[in-house]
Amino acid sequence: MNEKPDKREKQRGLPLLISIILVFCVLGTIVYAVSRKISTKMSEAAIQNLSESLDLIQSTIEAIMRSQAQYQVLIARGAGEQEDPEAYICTFEKSQMMAKLSLIPSGKTEGVSSSGETFTEDGLDFSAGGTVEGLPVSRSYVNYMGTWSYTMKCPVEREGEEIGTLYIEYIYDMIDQFLPNRFYNKQATLYIMDTESQRFVLKPKGMGERDAGHLNLKDFYQANSIEDPEIQSEVEECLGSSQDILFYHNIRGKRALTYMWSVNDGTIYLVGYVPITAIQHEGQTVNQYIFILVISMLTAFLICILLYYLNWRQQEKIRRERESERKLHNRQLAEALRAAQIASESKTTFLSNMSHDIRTPMNAVLGFTTLLAADAENPVKVREYTKKILASGQHLLSLINDILDVSKIESGKVVLNYEKLDLNDIVSSVETIIQPMARAKSQEFHVEVTGIRHEYLVGDETRINQVLINLLSNAVKYTAEGGRIWLRIIGLQQRSGQYERIRIEVEDNGYGMTPEYLEKIFDAFTRAENSTTNKVQGTGLGMAITKSIVELMGGTIEVFSEVGRGSLFRVELELRILEGQTDKVFWEKRGISRIITICADPESRRDIQALMEDTGVHMEIAASAEEGQERLKGRDEGCQLALLDWESGGIDCLRKMRKALAASVPIVLLAEFDAKGLEEALNITGTSILTKPFFISAFQEKVAQMWADSEEPGDLGPVTARDLTGMHFLAAEDNEINAEILTELLDMEGATCEIVENGRLAVERFRQAAEDEFDAILMDVQMPVMNGHDAAKAIRALPRNDAGRIPIIAMTANAFAEDEKAALDSGMDAHVSKPLDMEMLKKALADRMKRDAEKKEFLS
Amino acid sequence: MKNKFGMIHTWAACLAGGLLLLLASCSGGGDPQNLLTQEAENDRIVNLFSPMEKIDPNAQNVARSASDLTIIMAEEQLGVTVHYNTYTAENYQDKTYDDVTLDRARNNMDDIYLLNPDTLLALGAEGKLMDLSGLACVKNLREIIRTANTVDGKLVAIPQEVVAYGLFVNVELFRQYELDLPNTPEEFLECCRVFKENGIETPIGANRWWLETFVFAQAYAELYSGGNTEAEIAALNSGEAKYSDYMRPGFEFLKELIDRGYIDVEAAATGEAIETEGPDFLAGKTPIVMAYWGAANTETAYGKTDFEMQVIGFPSSRGQMPVITMTGFGIAEGAEHAQDAMRVLDIILSDEALQVYSQTNRVISPSQNVKVDCVPALQPLNDRIEEGVYVLGSNAGMDVEQWGNTCLIVRKLLNGASVDECMAAFDELQNASLDK
Repeated sequence: MNEKPDKREKQRGLPLLISIILVFCVLGTIVYAVSRKISTKMSEAAIQNLSESLDLIQSTIEAIMRSQAQYQVLIARGAGEQEDPEAYICTFEKSQMMAKLSLIPSGKTEGVSSSGETFTEDGLDFSAGGTVEGLPVSRSYVNYMGTWSYTMKCPVEREGEEIGTLYIEYIYDMIDQFLPNRFYNKQATLYIMDTESQRFVLKPKGMGERDAGHLNLKDFYQANSIEDPEIQSEVEECLGSSQDILFYHNIRGKRALTYMWSVNDGTIYLVGYVPITAIQHEGQTVNQYIFILVISMLTAFLICILLYYLNWRQQEKIRRERESERKLHNRQLAEALRAAQIASESKTTFLSNMSHDIRTPMNAVLGFTTLLAADAENPVKVREYTKKILASGQHLLSLINDILDVSKIESGKVVLNYEKLDLNDIVSSVETIIQPMARAKSQEFHVEVTGIRHEYLVGDETRINQVLINLLSNAVKYTAEGGRIWLRIIGLQQRSGQYERIRIEVEDNGYGMTPEYLEKIFDAFTRAENSTTNKVQGTGLGMAITKSIVELMGGTIEVFSEVGRGSLFRVELELRILEGQTDKVFWEKRGISRIITICADPESRRDIQALMEDTGVHMEIAASAEEGQERLKGRDEGCQLALLDWESGGIDCLRKMRKALAASVPIVLLAEFDAKGLEEALNITGTSILTKPFFISAFQEKVAQMWADSEEPGDLGPVTARDLTGMHFLAAEDNEINAEILTELLDMEGATCEIVENGRLAVERFRQAAEDEFDAILMDVQMPVMNGHDAAKAIRALPRNDAGRIPIIAMTANAFAEDEKAALDSGMDAHVSKPLDMEMLKKALADRMKRDAEKKEFLS
Repeated sequence: MKNKFGMIHTWAACLAGGLLLLLASCSGGGDPQNLLTQEAENDRIVNLFSPMEKIDPNAQNVARSASDLTIIMAEEQLGVTVHYNTYTAENYQDKTYDDVTLDRARNNMDDIYLLNPDTLLALGAEGKLMDLSGLACVKNLREIIRTANTVDGKLVAIPQEVVAYGLFVNVELFRQYELDLPNTPEEFLECCRVFKENGIETPIGANRWWLETFVFAQAYAELYSGGNTEAEIAALNSGEAKYSDYMRPGFEFLKELIDRGYIDVEAAATGEAIETEGPDFLAGKTPIVMAYWGAANTETAYGKTDFEMQVIGFPSSRGQMPVITMTGFGIAEGAEHAQDAMRVLDIILSDEALQVYSQTNRVISPSQNVKVDCVPALQPLNDRIEEGVYVLGSNAGMDVEQWGNTCLIVRKLLNGASVDECMAAFDELQNASLDK
């Protein structure tokens, strides 16, 4: 598609280019023709000019010679008038014009010169017959001054009778004075040639190149390579007939005009040449200017074309950019549309699934409720139906919770609740939940904690739990019975001293996922669909929620999976280390300053030592019982506690250490929860078991428990769900059905309840109640007149002794962590979500009781 | 968009600048009333008279070019114009260059003259030349230069090069006939015999000017190399010794060459230098010619031969003997532009100019400060000169002028005079000298 316009553009460009070239060719031809014409005209003009110049020089020389002749006639006349002409001649001195005057009386062969010497005509050759003003002129010769000269002779007459002949010698050098100093700017060469002898008798100054010098015409021919016989003969012909000649010839590589110009009827000639470059100087200059003009116009034209091209290119660039931008937008729009369509399809699918998933348990609830109504008299069936209704209701609840969670996360309403967290609590709570699930499917669930340097951190424990439970429950769900699941919590190299980097790995050897599904596993409203996983029920939102939470905490989540081999989820989080939370007092109070630890695994040893670093307790670490015994020698009194890794030696190690230690020193065995042989170990005195992984808080709890065993047994036992029998509650609930259910449920537990319709009434009722009339207040949150939070605050603010201590438990359909936090912030003690689970209520009450007990202990 | 506007602005600025420049170049300021360009005429002229070599259109006259370079230096430094006046005889019937030089110098036709040794001595003796010893360049001259150009206590001329004459031999012909290069007159005659017998009609190419070099080599080999030079010259000047006694062996040797037909007498009596014998030598027909040092460097002479050429000294009792003469620049006593002429000479004879001259022409410089390498062909001649082995073709210390007179007497020999008659001519010259 793109090639066609380019081709069309090229096709359009070619004729344009040819047109431009043609225009240039035509223009060039015109310019060339004009230049040639100008050159020719200028050349003709220059030849004309040269001819005129030579004519002028010729006339000048002839005028000089005529003057000389006329002057000589005058002298002859003067001599004729003298009685002694010879004496008269001798009165003349040598001058620039006349080198010598001589007189030979008639009838004699000898005379006298002005220099006083005897003079004869010997050596003077008048045979050529040249005359000036009728006076014979001799052939040129080199005179006594060493310069070329000629002599004219003139009869001396007295009274009409010739009495002698006057000879005057003239030198050619004199002519030089009357010639121009520059002839074609010294580029033209000029000689005066004696025609008879063809000798060059004068090279006027300022004529031609200085280093050129010629003897005669032959030498001139040779030096200037004038070898063409035709030219030479034509020259001879012209010389013979006293005609001028002008011809073109190359002289030393330069085209030149060579001339021979007759002077004084051909007795002497002007010979020389002028280079064409000199003669056509004006023409060349004009041509140069024309050339410059053409080049300038051409340059301007090219600049215009260039500017036009640049502008066009710029426009084209902008057009292309816009085009590509438009294409990009279109593509983005198409992608967005497709994404929206996919999302829409996804949500449609989700709604379809949800419709199915919600309808299924709802159908069960309604169906079994119908059955329940029908079989109300049959207690066995009633229990069976209610159990199924309960299960279906719980599943429905979890579905609704997930949907709401996703909705909240997507709308950005989730707020993380950063507070102190204990990794031990997280691990143990997760383990408590997952272990039974795994066991139910005969799966092995392993927890490994390595490299953790700080146990107490700051973070949203609830959300971290949510992530772990999501991942682990998925692992349990998508792993076949008898499979294996690993939870690894690994401490990574810290980037900052204030933060602990934790990697959480959840691995299973379950069904695994296809690469295609892996790409969208974290997208909301997706669920792996195949024959295996269809057996598993779920909303398909869990992973989207998990990823969102991890990213909200600034962490990353990755997944690696292979169908049939299992999956590995890897979460990395950076959590702030909680400063100053090391409980040194705990250890000091119990007099524990040194603990002997036997652990064969170096990594575990390092972990234990790192975790115990800030407790103020010195850890004696040994790899084996023997090493431990060695360390204890002589200072066993120094160790108040022993920590033994069960995998490092088992019962033998325990026995050895028991022997080595004083009987009063308790031994804590660090073991997997399903470790074998622990029953035997517990039979040994002063031995207690701490489930792996090792955490200080768990360790402290165990130590506290052991110390309590020895001092106050049973005081601080494990929290168990509290029996509600005989308890009296104040409940604020605006919904009558809910109020009735609550009343019935509590009644089933042997407790009583007084219902009020809103918060204000609850406050009023509590104010009016006698002290400790109510064991606890159950507070709905969303109520008319006054909501639960305000009511709790108001109750806590009441000036009563029990206003601060009465347990207030939020009881609301707002089941999120933020709701729980808001409830706690308003002064309530716990949060139980609706629909009300009596076990949860009992646990919440029990937790509250436990906290009260701990508080009392601490204060004591 | 910003770039686009920026580019347009740049173009606009360039065009505007160009337009301004054009306008500025077109406006020539106020037009003067007088349309003629007023140029200050340079009327400082120095006339130089020197010989004119016939032009070969395809060859570069190095010697003239070298001299021109120094003249240009003078013109540029002084702001004068040096005009050449030249003359060369067309044939033997014409006045010689020396004749014309004498005429012109005696009539003050020029300012500076390039003088051959004989004219130099003649004009110096006549007092027609200025004393150049005051020039700054004189202090750089070799002693021999000063000696050879001093007449009556006046330094009358200074050369741009020391002219050494030698025999130019075609080594390949010598090799062809298994001949060694000759050292003595006898060896030379033997070589000529072998050449002659092998069909080379005239083994020696000669002209009417330079045969005298054979005579000088044999006449004065002992005088200049014997360690008693001054005394021997003094004896000649006082008449105790006779020039004819020194000259006789050389003339007899020449006579023998003539008699045996080793020289074409007719050509030698009338022929011009190089022009006569050069073509045959260059064509490989003549194995031996005589010429000056510079001829080996210039294409107009023997600077470009097709065969291996060497330049050796003339045969003498002391082996190969170079003959040295001085062709110097002198200034006419009555020169019109004497001061400028002196300044011109000072520049063209300065070390700087002589360096340029010698470098270009590859000749021996008269300045003791200037040294250049010679071409390989000149090496044998150069070696002898470096050894101090040479004779002078002219010596102002001798009362009888040597170079010109010997040349003329050799021509008499060529024209048929006997050796005795030639010696008588020398005696006559010596007597005339003693009579002064």
